[in-house]
Formats: sequence, C-alpha cells, structure tokens
Amino acid sequence: MSMFSIGLSGLNAAQNALNTVSSNASNMLTPGYNRQITMLGEGSAGSKGVQVNDIERQFNTYVASQLNNAKTQSSALSTYNQQVSQIDSLLADRAAGLSPLMQKFFSSIEDLASAPSDPAARQGVLGTANTLSAQFRSFDGYLQDMQGNINGQIEDEVTQINNTTEQIAGLNKEIALARARTGVAPNSLLNQRDHLVSELNERMDLRLNIQDGKSYNISLPNGQPLVTGTDTFKLEARQADYDPQRTVVGYIDGGGNPVQLDESTITGGTLGGLMTFRSETLDKTQNQIGQLAVSLATAFNEQHKQGVDLNGDQGENFFATRSPQGYGYTNNSDPNLLTSIEFDPATVDKLRATDYTVSFDAASNPIVTRNDNGEVLNGTDPEDSDFVDLSEWNAGTGEGEITFGGVTVSLNPVANGDRFEIQPVRRAAGGMDTKIADLDKIAAASFAEFEGDLDIGDVRMAEGALGALPEGDSFSFSLDENGVITELDGPVTVDGNALSVGDTIAAGSRIAVDGVEFTLNEFPKVGETATLTIGLSDASSGDNRNALALQNLQSQNVVGGRASVTGAYASIVSDVGNRSNITQVNLEARQGLTDQLRAVQQSESGVNLDEELANLLQYQQYYAANARVIDTAGSLLDTILNLRG
Amino acid sequence: MRISTVTIFEQSVASLNRQQSSLQHTSLQISSGRRVVNPSDDPQAASRAVGVDQSLAITDQYKDSRISARNSLSQADSILGSVKDAIISAKGLLVQASSDTLSDVDRESVASELKGIYETMLGQANATDGNGRYLFGGYKDNAQPFKKDASGSVQYQGDNNAREQRIDATRLMAVADNGKTIFKSVPSSAGYVAEAKKADGSLNSGNVTFRGPQIRDVNDADYGTDFRITFNTPATFNIETFDGTDWNAVQTEGYTGNLGDTSQQVTYGGVSINLEGTPAAGDSILVAQAGGEQREPNLFRTMEEAIRVLEDPADTDAKKADLRNTLNTSMRDLDNALDNVLTVRASAGARLNELDVVDVVGANRMMNYTETLSDLVDLDYAEAISEYSLRQVGLQAAQKTFVDIKGLSLLNYM
Repeated sequence: MSMFSIGLSGLNAAQNALNTVSSNASNMLTPGYNRQITMLGEGSAGSKGVQVNDIERQFNTYVASQLNNAKTQSSALSTYNQQVSQIDSLLADRAAGLSPLMQKFFSSIEDLASAPSDPAARQGVLGTANTLSAQFRSFDGYLQDMQGNINGQIEDEVTQINNTTEQIAGLNKEIALARARTGVAPNSLLNQRDHLVSELNERMDLRLNIQDGKSYNISLPNGQPLVTGTDTFKLEARQADYDPQRTVVGYIDGGGNPVQLDESTITGGTLGGLMTFRSETLDKTQNQIGQLAVSLATAFNEQHKQGVDLNGDQGENFFATRSPQGYGYTNNSDPNLLTSIEFDPATVDKLRATDYTVSFDAASNPIVTRNDNGEVLNGTDPEDSDFVDLSEWNAGTGEGEITFGGVTVSLNPVANGDRFEIQPVRRAAGGMDTKIADLDKIAAASFAEFEGDLDIGDVRMAEGALGALPEGDSFSFSLDENGVITELDGPVTVDGNALSVGDTIAAGSRIAVDGVEFTLNEFPKVGETATLTIGLSDASSGDNRNALALQNLQSQNVVGGRASVTGAYASIVSDVGNRSNITQVNLEARQGLTDQLRAVQQSESGVNLDEELANLLQYQQYYAANARVIDTAGSLLDTILNLRG
Repeated sequence: MRISTVTIFEQSVASLNRQQSSLQHTSLQISSGRRVVNPSDDPQAASRAVGVDQSLAITDQYKDSRISARNSLSQADSILGSVKDAIISAKGLLVQASSDTLSDVDRESVASELKGIYETMLGQANATDGNGRYLFGGYKDNAQPFKKDASGSVQYQGDNNAREQRIDATRLMAVADNGKTIFKSVPSSAGYVAEAKKADGSLNSGNVTFRGPQIRDVNDADYGTDFRITFNTPATFNIETFDGTDWNAVQTEGYTGNLGDTSQQVTYGGVSINLEGTPAAGDSILVAQAGGEQREPNLFRTMEEAIRVLEDPADTDAKKADLRNTLNTSMRDLDNALDNVLTVRASAGARLNELDVVDVVGANRMMNYTETLSDLVDLDYAEAISEYSLRQVGLQAAQKTFVDIKGLSLLNYM
C-alpha cells in the first residue's frame, strides 16, 4: 500500500468529515435536523489508510418518543388554555357582564314596587330587561361562535393530519427503496420522517410502532391504524350522528366506510385539546348560561302571570327563550320521530346544565342518560331531579311523551335501537328576549285575591286563569280536618278530575281552580274547617304586590331549585375560573417538562456551533496533513527519479 | 452536558418571554387596580366577589326603597299633622257652639267656620304625591279617595290596602296608610258613643237628651253588646240588641221622664246612659261601641252632622234636643278621631324611625360588603408596585444574559 493511496484515503476521509461539519453547521436551525458524526475507521485488512465507516445520525428513539409524548400533552393543554381563556376574559368584564345587568334589572323592579303606575319606573323595567336579554343573547352568540370556530379548526386539523400521514407513508416507501438500493437509509429522509411524526404528535396523540426497526406504523390511541407501511387510512371531519351542528372526527376503515369516533378517543395534541375543551368546558358553560336564562325567564314569567297589568288584564309571559333542541341519531329507524320538545314549567327546577341521551330497551321503555356524568335517570320519587315521568308514555306502541329534567319530549312510535340527543338549555340563552313592549303590560298588581284560612302554597296561574269567573264573583271551597270537601262553589279539580262536596283531597296534592293551581300544604286543625276564596283583585294602579313578588325572585333559589340567579352565575365564574386556572398551572408544569426533554434531545441531536467550528479547524488540519503526506510521497518519488540524472 | 446552540437561544428567549408576560400581568393589575383581573387569577375570590357584589347591589336596592318609603311616610306625616290641627280647631268650635248663650246666628257663623275646616280636611284627605297619585286611596291611587255624593256627604272610594315596600331583606313596610284607617277608624281603646236618632235614621220627635254613655262594669256578661233604647210609649222603652238582621227587645223598662234636675239612668251590659226630657213613641237612642259595626266611625260624617245642626235654627224643643245630642255625639266622635289620627301618625313616625335605624344598619352592611369586595379582588398597590420593580429587574437581567450569551462564540477568536 503506497503512501499515495494512504494519503488519498486520508484526504477522502477529511473531505467527508468536512462535508459533515458543513452539513451540521448549515442545518443548525433546520427543524427536525439531527446532528451527524463522521465515523472513521482503519482501512480494511492489508491497507493502512483510513476509511469512513458511517455518517452517523445522532438520534435517540427513546428520548424522541418521550419528547413526542410530552409535546402531545403540552400542545393539548396549550390549545385548551387558549380556548378557555377566551371564556375567562368574557366573564372578567364586571361592568357589562351578566351579574351587574341582573342587578340593574332587579333594581328597576324595586323602583316599580315603589311607584307601580309610574311610567318612568315601568320604562326602567323594560329598558333593563332589554339590556339583560341582549346580554344573554350576546353571551350565547360568543359561545356559539366558539363552537363554530372549533368545528372549523377540527376540519383543518383533520386535513393536516391526513396530509402528514400520507407523507409518512410516502417516506416509508422511499426509505425502503433507498435501503434496497444502497443498503443504508439516507439520513435526510429519516430526519424528515421523524420530524413528521413529531409534528403529528402536536396535532393528536398516537401510537408509533416501528416495524423491524425500519418502517413506521402509526395508529390511533384506540388501535385503529392510520399508517401501515406504505398504506394510509384517512380521518374525516363529519357531522355528529347526534347533533348536525357538531363536527366530530370519523375514521374511514379499509372498506371505505366512515365510522364516527367517540369524542373522547383523541385527547392529545391540538385536536384533542379542542375536543376536550368543547365537551368539558364549552358545552357546560353554554348549558349553564342557558339554564340560567330559562330559570330566570320561567320564574319571572310564572310570577308575572300572577299579576295584572294597567289595562286590567292578566300578566303575559315577560321573557322568551329558545325552545329546547333535540336530534334523532342519523341511523334511527325514521328521521322524523321527534315531534316536539317543550319546557315543562311545573318541573323547571329540575332543569340541569346538561344534555341527555334517550334510548330504549327491548320493551320500548325509555332510558334517559345524562351526558355530562353518564348517569341514568332512575329516580322513583316524582320530586327527585332524576325522575322520568312516563305517565304519558305508551310502551306498547313506543310512543307518547316523556318528561324529565324540566322538558317534555314527544315521540312517534320508536323502534328498538333508536336514540335521541336532547339539549334542553344549550341554546336557550340565544333566544332570550323581552316579549313585552307596552309599558301598560307590566303586571305590577296582584291578579287574584286569595282569602280564607286554608294553608296553600306554590301558586301558579295558567294563561287565561279565572276566565270563567263572573265579574265581582269568587270561587270558594272548604275542607274539614280530613280533607273532605264540606262546601264548594266553583270548578275545583285535582289531576283533571272535577270534585264535588264529600270528595277528599289529599294533603300535598295539586289543586286547580279555573287555571289557578296550588298545593294543599296541610289539613285544617282537628274539629275545624278551613275555607279558600279566590276572586279577582281590583287591579288598582297603586297595587304593587306582584312587583314585590317579582323583586323577591332575585333572592329565591330559582336555578335548579338550588341557587339564586346570581349564585348560579357565580358558580359559572368559579367553574370557568377554576378550569382556566388548572389548565394554566398544568400547562406550565407540562411545558417545563417538554422544555427539559427538548434540551435533553437537543444535547444529543442538536448542533453546537462552537463544536462544529472546532471540528472544522481540526478537519482542515487533518486535510492539510494528508495533503502533505501525498506531497511527501511525491518528493520521495522525485528523489528516486532524480537518482538517474 | 453538551448543549446545542439552538437550546441556548431557545432557553434565553423562553426566559425573556416568561419575564415579559409576568411583567405585563403585574402592569395590567396596576392599571386596572384589581388583583383579580380574570376569574382564573383567583377563581374562589372571583366567584365570591360575584356573590358579594350581588349583596351590595341588593343592599343598595333597599336603600333606594327606603328613600322612597321615607318620602311617602313624611308626606303622610305632615298631612296627618294638619288633620290633627283641624280636628283640634273643630273640637274648639263645637265646645264654643254648645254654650247655651249662643244665638242661632252665632251658631251659623260657627257652622261656616266649621265648614271651612271640613273642606280643608277633605282637601288633605285627597292629597297627592309629586306624581299626582293620591296618598290615601290604598291601592286605588289614581282616583280621588274621598268624593262627595249627590246628597253632599263624603264617601270613601279607596280600598283597605296599604302599599308595602321591601325596605330590608326581611322587612316589608307599609309606606302609606289608607283613608279608612285615618278618617274612618277609632283606636281600639275608644269607648261607647250614643246617638239620638230613630232606627231608620230620621230625627227623634221628642226632646229626650242624653248624657254619657259611661262604662260601669266591663265584667258584665253582655258587655260589648251594642244596644238601642226605643220608646214604645213616652212611659216605656225597650232595650234592643241586634241579631245580625233585626233589632230585638231583650227587656222593657218604664220611663219616668223629667224628674226635676235628676235624670233617669238606663244601664245595660255594664254601660249606663242618663236620659232627660220627654220622648215620643218611636224615638230611639243608639248606644254603640265607637269602632263597632252598628255605627262605623267616619270623621267626615261627624263634621257634616255638626254642621247640619249648627246651620239649622233651634226653634223647637225637638230641635234643641237634637242640637244638644248631636253636639254631644260629635264631640265624642272628634275626640276619638283625634286619638285615631295621633295613633296613625305615631305609627308613621315609628316607621320613619325604623327607617333611620335600618339605614344605619344598611350603611354598615354596605361598608362591610365594599370592604370584603375590595379584599377579594382589589389590588394592594404597594405590593404590586414592588412586584413590578422586581419583575422589571428580572426582565433586564434576562435581556442582559441574552446579549452576553449571544456574544460568546468561537468565531470571535478566529
């Protein structure tokens, strides 16, 4: 082996090493680039030169997968945080938020109670009511916009994910080809593929399986494959089966059939962050605002109907809200089974800030499940919030009305397997409006006069109540200690059955008298009879009794029977605040971990410029030395050749 | 450990970002004056603040309510004061008129003065507030509560309600008194009133006059029962009680009539009345509880009656007896009415006092709420400003390190 060829092999190696250093230096800022090292080795047997064994990519699969994992989680949290902070800021506005507007509204009712016929006080009530309903609408509009944005973002994410998986499959193929051709995989392709996997991890959580140490197989967290070797399976953004306004992720299987993925399948990355935020916070907040709107509106309407306006007419509904929404699943036996959903004013205190799924067992008995906690409503006491009223349901034909959670759902005959999504209050605040525009129509006075010593409570009046009562007359009835009617003048009914003298009324039953409904609290004392007389009031302009009752609603537990309107609002603030706060803290912690892992990954695979500069100097000298070897060999040869002359 | 150049930059930039964002947060707190800017800054404090804010708003509401309650009550109070004065002058005039030395003409002039008082009083009873709403009509505040009917006597058109207002969380206060309680009531302590008129309301034909009535024995079994002394003949009379529809005689007694200076005392149910003069058959004297059903109190009717007898010349014995009896009845009625107005006024005064007390409590509560709210969400400036300076130093340090590290490169020495 001549010095020439030894020197040449050195030059060659130096060239390679210099190339590697330049590549490192030039790709210092390239995302996904992994530092390379030229691995030198002694020449193979017999030759004394040097050879380049390998240009080694500094890549640690274990660290990379840990980093990817961390990225998935911090990306999910960061998306979640971005979204939740929007609601957080919405609630932060103390001057124009719902709470001060509700306060102003009730303040104006107080003014009305001080001066029940004063046009200025009445105008104040209408003005603050309009502002309040507008704010409810704008709250809902804001949240609904967020729903729309999330739908759009899910579509974008799904498109990006499909692109990325396709590229990964493409790279799998190219890498296999290159490996077949040259026996080694080109580092740049490997870098690209690893970078794509890392990007994909920021979009969603996934499982990576490296087949034979070569081909990357990627699947969803539930195991359904996205990339197997060179094949890809696509995701699609699609309308949810149960709600046409909701975009969810579907998976297209090998046969080309789309399958809707459960919303909790993907929890990591941007996509997971969006979907978790939506089902955990956005839906809930929207439902809570809706519940607040419906509870306030219903309580106010019911009380307003117990009043009489300046024209001497019974008070009308004061507020309107949007009706409950419900959707049949797309694979139901018939798309039009759901005929109507209405609020049930009698059980409005059972309204909860949740959606429900209604399905049926083999005997067509409805099974109602709360979507927020997955509980099946199975209460046995009609007063319980988890009681399902099936008195109007015909299990034989599978049709009729189901009343639960403050709503009544009417259905045409259903088949086994049919399912419905019921959203009682989701969009209710969006339709919040003041129905009264005429100042005279505010019912500040009391509509009916109740006289007598019978202990009754929870009065409610239907529209057109006491319509059958002749002018100046009154209805009355008397009960003895056992609830037996001793005297009766008027249409007294219990559960729709007209009663007459001698019939018994049970304590606690709902009694109706020409549209006026109330509960009998207690029987008269032993040996006594008690009488109730219901007549129309004089509808005097100075009567402020109903205004006082309306004002009193602000401190009553009208929301779900458990909280006042402000209390309910405070719990929304607390929920969102806590959620946002927890996310921030988690994000910071997770981000710290991610940063640390990135530093670890970089310490192995990243380029250090000083190091490369030092290497550059070293290899420059190495090159020069080898060139000198060839030069020396040349001189030696010249010396020999010069011997002749 | 090997450190990549990118890491050095990234870490410096991340630290700059961190420092900048916390500086910005502190500066936001300072500019808004609030420690809790977003609910997420302190969820518990933020949600409690909503509750405290609500309590504050409600307390403020009650404060407004008390202002208008005080306004109504003060108006009523001042009017009740003038009504009281009017009753006192009317009583003085009646005392003057009952003197036997007065001639018909003198009495007529007293009558015209009394009429003036009557009209003033009617005006007071129909007083309105600043918005033209009648103060004493109960809920019917849009029509005159006291109106003269065709015969010229004043009728109450209002109702028996008193408008209430919520002046505190648990206190509904009546902020107005209706005309019935003021002008058509007597205090429960008022005794008996006698009136010499036939059962059908026409004047007696004889000249019996009465003195009293006097309460003798409150433990009598029939005490509290209104009764009527009706003369069957000039020499006998029945004592009658009312059973709800008719007057029924419960006992018959003889009447000896005028026995010189001594009068005849008739006693029933623990109440006695002295009679004097000659009755005609069918003449009657009602002895009734001042606030009872048989003879409902009515200040305006009392005045009208007094004016009637004073205007009418007392030229017969019957008329003289009527004059004496009516003035006697009217003076008792006026005494009762005065007591009543004073009672109502005292109750309005008590409510005004209560408003003052609740005001003080309310103001204290407001202060507590404001303080709590401030503790919950407001910023401690001293703390925030020192925090701000600290963050500033932090940011400057981060900037300095960044610049220094950036300058450290092997290239500088090549």
